[in-house]
Amino acid sequence: MRSNRPGCLSGTGIAAALIAALVIAGYAYARGGLMFSPGPLNAQRDQTLSGVASHTEIGGECSTCHAAPWEAATMADRCVVCHQDIAAEMQDESSLHGTLMNNEPGLTCRECHPEHRGAEASITVMEDLSVFPHEAVGFSLNGHQLAAAREPFQCDDCHHDDITTFNLDTCAACHRQMDARYMTSHVLVFGTACLDCHDGVDRFDENFDHNVFAFQLTGQHVNVDCAACHINARSLGDFTATPPDCYSCHLQEDAHDGQFGRDCAACHNTAGWQGADFDHNLSNFPLTGAHVDVACESCHVNGLLQELSTDCVACHAEPEFHAGLFGTDCDACHATTAWTPAEFNGPHIFPLNHGGGATCATCHPASFTTYTCYGCHEHEEADIREEHLDEGIRDFENCLACHPSGQEPEDDNRDDND
Amino acid sequence: MLRGNRELWLALLAMILITGVYGLVTVFTREIPPASELFGHGLGITGFTLMLMTETLYSLRKRSRSIKWGRMSNWLQFHIFTGLVGPYMVLFHTSWKFSGIAGVTTLLTVIIVISGFIGRYIFTRVPRTLDGLEIEGTLSQEALKQVRRLLALWHTIHIPIGIVLFVSAFVHIGGALYYATFLK
Repeated sequence: MRSNRPGCLSGTGIAAALIAALVIAGYAYARGGLMFSPGPLNAQRDQTLSGVASHTEIGGECSTCHAAPWEAATMADRCVVCHQDIAAEMQDESSLHGTLMNNEPGLTCRECHPEHRGAEASITVMEDLSVFPHEAVGFSLNGHQLAAAREPFQCDDCHHDDITTFNLDTCAACHRQMDARYMTSHVLVFGTACLDCHDGVDRFDENFDHNVFAFQLTGQHVNVDCAACHINARSLGDFTATPPDCYSCHLQEDAHDGQFGRDCAACHNTAGWQGADFDHNLSNFPLTGAHVDVACESCHVNGLLQELSTDCVACHAEPEFHAGLFGTDCDACHATTAWTPAEFNGPHIFPLNHGGGATCATCHPASFTTYTCYGCHEHEEADIREEHLDEGIRDFENCLACHPSGQEPEDDNRDDND
Repeated sequence: MLRGNRELWLALLAMILITGVYGLVTVFTREIPPASELFGHGLGITGFTLMLMTETLYSLRKRSRSIKWGRMSNWLQFHIFTGLVGPYMVLFHTSWKFSGIAGVTTLLTVIIVISGFIGRYIFTRVPRTLDGLEIEGTLSQEALKQVRRLLALWHTIHIPIGIVLFVSAFVHIGGALYYATFLK
């Protein structure tokens, strides 16, 4: 007869489970959490803290270092219970631990100081540069993965004496071996405080691309020495503070002596100073007719960017021969092609259609304030004189008085007007 | 041979695949995959899940009277497949460290797999239908009695080992959660 209970609920099954649980509980009672230890603790004996000379001595006392998951305390809190000197260092930004904590607050002790790796294993893992968060001390090892010999960098390649200190000359000494000529000029121009500009994140080598910044290098700017614009730059702040406007660098080269303003790029581009390109027709005063060939300075007497009125009279004073009769609305009669011919469209006291084909000068040969009817078809002075004297009209000089519309005779009472 | 031992061949194939992936991860990360990191943890969790299935599903199906899902022979094949692949994954999860309760659990895992092989050998001495029923008349009464006695003895040993293994594994999981996974 086969039992229908699962094997784990059979007598032997339950007995086995109980015995196993008892054995484990007994072991835990006798040896603490040792059965969970993934490996022996470090046996280094540098100093005795809180009565403990090495981590090996507290091997079975897991809770000395391990806080329970439901407790507020962390493992790091347990570390500093004994390592109070390190706790003090974490508050001091001039120390390694202080710098690390300040720049990377999320770091925990065990990331650099792993345990359970064996009695003789190092308690500090800095030999593996991919583990140590080097950027937290202000310099990333992103650009320093492989040394010149294509071998991975070792700590003492840069930190010769003490892992916690760094001699700035190390940078130049090593990089001079790579490119002595470049380094000599680079140090001469920018100084020796490499870390003030270089944080190790990027490689500023031949692949350096200035165009990732807002000020892109194009045209003639491509071949300019860095220091020509970044004058006396000694820190990243100095570099980024370089003014991006043209005039800051090109003040001395201004062929316009400042009269065209400071925004060179309004007309020029980086291909060269020659070939300035300004489309006046994009402005609110498109250049047409005779204006096209006028030199810029003729209108913009105080610099190219001078705001000018678009009224004609701002540049063109009314000529004397207008005798103040036509006003300043020039384009009512004139076009930009030329002053003459002009097409008079204003009010005129005498019919303009009189004597078809006449120009202004036909009637106004001397000025617009005087007129003559002579010189036109039958209006010869001698004939007029004779004709009027025959009629007994002696005052015939003021033609319009009797002929306001140019017709004859217009008024039966002309004698009254004599 | 291939047809008769399909589950063994499939298990072998799975193990070759797992070995390949493990090798690639080892080469690319330049270290033995630690038990506590993504790949090592994944192996352990998946392997243990397969082992739990090995332990429970076949046993439940065998005792189930009302629901008859699938043929017993298929369930036995599945039991053997998971019973081989699961422990194999768990073996890689160890990162080749066998200390403490984790080491004991690994040892018990190896023992239960060997015991499983022995049990299967005894079990196949008795000719059965696909539903697991014995086909009578092919063995002499005396031989049948002997095989049944042997099988009963094997059960008495195999099941407690399995129980101890799972107790030990659950304690290991609890310890790992307490001391590592939820570490702050």
